[in-house]
Amino acid sequence: MENLGALALVLAFCFALYSILGSLIGKWKRKPFLLASARRAVYTVWALVAVASGILVYSLIAGDFRLVYVASHSNKSMPLHYKFAAWWGGQEGSLLFWSFLLATYSAVVTWTCRNKFRDMMPYVTAVLMTTEAFFLMLITFVISPFQVFVVGRGIQDLGDGQGLNPLLQYWTMVIHPPMLYLGYVGFTVPFAFAFASLITRQPGEAWIHTTRRWTIVTWLFQSTGILLGAGWAYAVLGWGGYWGWDPVENASLLPWITATAFLHSVMMQEKKGMMKVWNMVLISATFFLCIFGTFLTRSGVVSSVHAFAQSPIGKYFVTFLAIGIAGAIYLILDRLDYLKSESHLESVISRESSFLFNNLILLASCFAVLWGTLFPVISEAVTGDKISVDRPFFERVNVPIGLFLLFLTGVGPLIAWRRSSLESLKRAFLWPTVAGAALMIALIAAGMRHPYALLSFGLCAFVACTIIAEFYKGARAISAKSGANLFASAIELTHRNTRRYGGYIVHMGIVFMFIGFTGWAFRLDETIEVQPGSVARIGHYQLRVADITQGENDNYIWNRAVIDVSKNGEPVGALEPEKRLYKASKQPTSEVAIRRRLNEDLYLNFAGMSNDNKKAVIQAYVFPLVSWIWIGYWVLLFGTLVCLIPPKMRLQYARTQVVGIAGRHATVEQ
Amino acid sequence: MRRSNSSALAAVAVAALSLAQTSTEFITPAVKRVGVRLACLCTACKNTVADCPMLQCEYSHPARQRIAAQLAQGKSDDEIVKSFIDQQGLQALAVPPNRGFNSLVWIMPWIAVAAGLALVWLFIRRHSSKRAAASGPPLDPAVVERYRANIEKDLEKLD
Repeated sequence: MENLGALALVLAFCFALYSILGSLIGKWKRKPFLLASARRAVYTVWALVAVASGILVYSLIAGDFRLVYVASHSNKSMPLHYKFAAWWGGQEGSLLFWSFLLATYSAVVTWTCRNKFRDMMPYVTAVLMTTEAFFLMLITFVISPFQVFVVGRGIQDLGDGQGLNPLLQYWTMVIHPPMLYLGYVGFTVPFAFAFASLITRQPGEAWIHTTRRWTIVTWLFQSTGILLGAGWAYAVLGWGGYWGWDPVENASLLPWITATAFLHSVMMQEKKGMMKVWNMVLISATFFLCIFGTFLTRSGVVSSVHAFAQSPIGKYFVTFLAIGIAGAIYLILDRLDYLKSESHLESVISRESSFLFNNLILLASCFAVLWGTLFPVISEAVTGDKISVDRPFFERVNVPIGLFLLFLTGVGPLIAWRRSSLESLKRAFLWPTVAGAALMIALIAAGMRHPYALLSFGLCAFVACTIIAEFYKGARAISAKSGANLFASAIELTHRNTRRYGGYIVHMGIVFMFIGFTGWAFRLDETIEVQPGSVARIGHYQLRVADITQGENDNYIWNRAVIDVSKNGEPVGALEPEKRLYKASKQPTSEVAIRRRLNEDLYLNFAGMSNDNKKAVIQAYVFPLVSWIWIGYWVLLFGTLVCLIPPKMRLQYARTQVVGIAGRHATVEQ
Repeated sequence: MRRSNSSALAAVAVAALSLAQTSTEFITPAVKRVGVRLACLCTACKNTVADCPMLQCEYSHPARQRIAAQLAQGKSDDEIVKSFIDQQGLQALAVPPNRGFNSLVWIMPWIAVAAGLALVWLFIRRHSSKRAAASGPPLDPAVVERYRANIEKDLEKLD
């Protein structure tokens, strides 16, 4: 079986190379049969990678412990879904998973565009298959998932395996990596179209129109992956930290930030024909940051709790990144004439300007995160001293940047395209500003003194008001004309311009998330030792350890603390945090117990027994408002889905000026 | 849930799951005050010694014990932090000191913001000047009036 899997990967690598050469030569020599053959090679690559993936998954489920990968990441006692998740639980398997997703995306793109973009598609195929060939090269020749244990001349069956890392045996871990990978891999598609449009000197926005949905869906996957990871960290690590500024977490955030900037600035290109070079830079940066994130996770260049075992693949990633970035820079510089702006900026106070500032702040945040992540490596290379750049740095730098971004989230939608008069700005900003200021004054009066928290809550109120006002104004106009109620009118309004109002809903999700993030400033934590029957306190909660129970199943042994919880003296139920010891790996983990409410979560971790075995050691936390982060995600998800619904009305946007080669091409095409 | 009656299992579980040493006595406000300046170097988290949640963390637990001992000896916070730097180097600090090459970690993000603002300003200026150059000679009022009349006519049709 393993030989068949390895053979499938070798063949897939060969077909990917064939597809690249077939596309390029077919286009160069104008040989349609070669182009068709190169397209079919894409489907063949998918089929072969699917076969290899199927064999690995079967080996994991069946427990073929002759394979090093299976023995390292699966065992007999693991539940079926975790055996399946072990596919992406380790270095080699996750690279195979990457290859499978990219092959699937490539096949879908090739199929859906088989009769479109005849100029661009050969290059799109070549870019997709070059990336695919790179990953296939790694798992075929450098770190194969089908390596077997060999002793002397014989293959050894270990009988059972180590199992998946216990920390990963949690339900969101079954979904989190695939979502993140769907995001990482998905950005290859818009990048491939952008690259192809540069090669073919496309003057218009064809690549953007084609890949808009891809980009939004991919961005949604990436957002979901990041939030699931945050949810996992919150519920599994035992201290409630949903974001630790770990290098690997940061690596997933970086392309998300550039993709968010791209989703905003791309509107400038679609509506005004502006920022074409910038959009090329952003989508290229997003793609390369995805590859960089994958490199960071696997190369050992920075230390991280998330990182896979160190392996020799780092240098291959560096080479791939260097060649890719050099190629993208060359193409962008060489095609500058085709990327000239078709409009100009009419006023500093305009939607266009707000997009510029939004992009600036997003990119500044991206740079700050990247800089903080890599600075220990840079500093050691320059000074020879090892340094740490931990949470305090990221919080000090990113909190003000994040708050300014939140401010722009509220300002942007209120400013008109082309130009806004000061009078209209005054009208639009009056009530949101009053709402924000009133909330801040009320919070100060209530005793809140944390400056960032006050500012954050004030801005949340400001942005929420701007969004509600936008819906209200539009819905009221429709209601006045149609006689429908405001709610039905708001739905009609959203349906007319799904992208705009879906975007506002996404912004509302971000506001909810900021409310949740701000709650972190008011967290309480206590580490307490309590004898069964005794009571401990945290905030307005009383915790009585009623019992300590023990048990086991095939996978792990557990100790569980049964804790009766009262709030201000009123019983509110029992929480049962658990400490586990996984038998195969001998690794202990915590299963925390959380009482989730909209205003605050009570979070209990049973850390173990004291050294005299008489007291339970409980780490108790109160996290105010943390649920709003997860609510914010669901709102963001809903808003993004709304953006994907085709709008009822097609809107036209006036462009004020057409200049340069791009403009002339556009005029000729029309 | 099921209770295990196996005393052997319970012994194994208790031995494995209990903390080898009481760790909570070192988590005091004074220890936290100093610990917040020091990085946890266990590589499993990016927390400080003060808020590393692992009670038996191989780095933070002995670090907290050390801080508590030095506080008991009457040492100042700075002296304690310095003793960590003497032993571990600058990596003992949660964030690098704002001096020498390492000050770049603090400066660069704000330089990036400033550079970005400069770029935006240049972009706006460049495009505004284009507009001025492209504005051309003043329009004939008769032409403007004809357009206005057309707009009015179109608006009436809409009504």
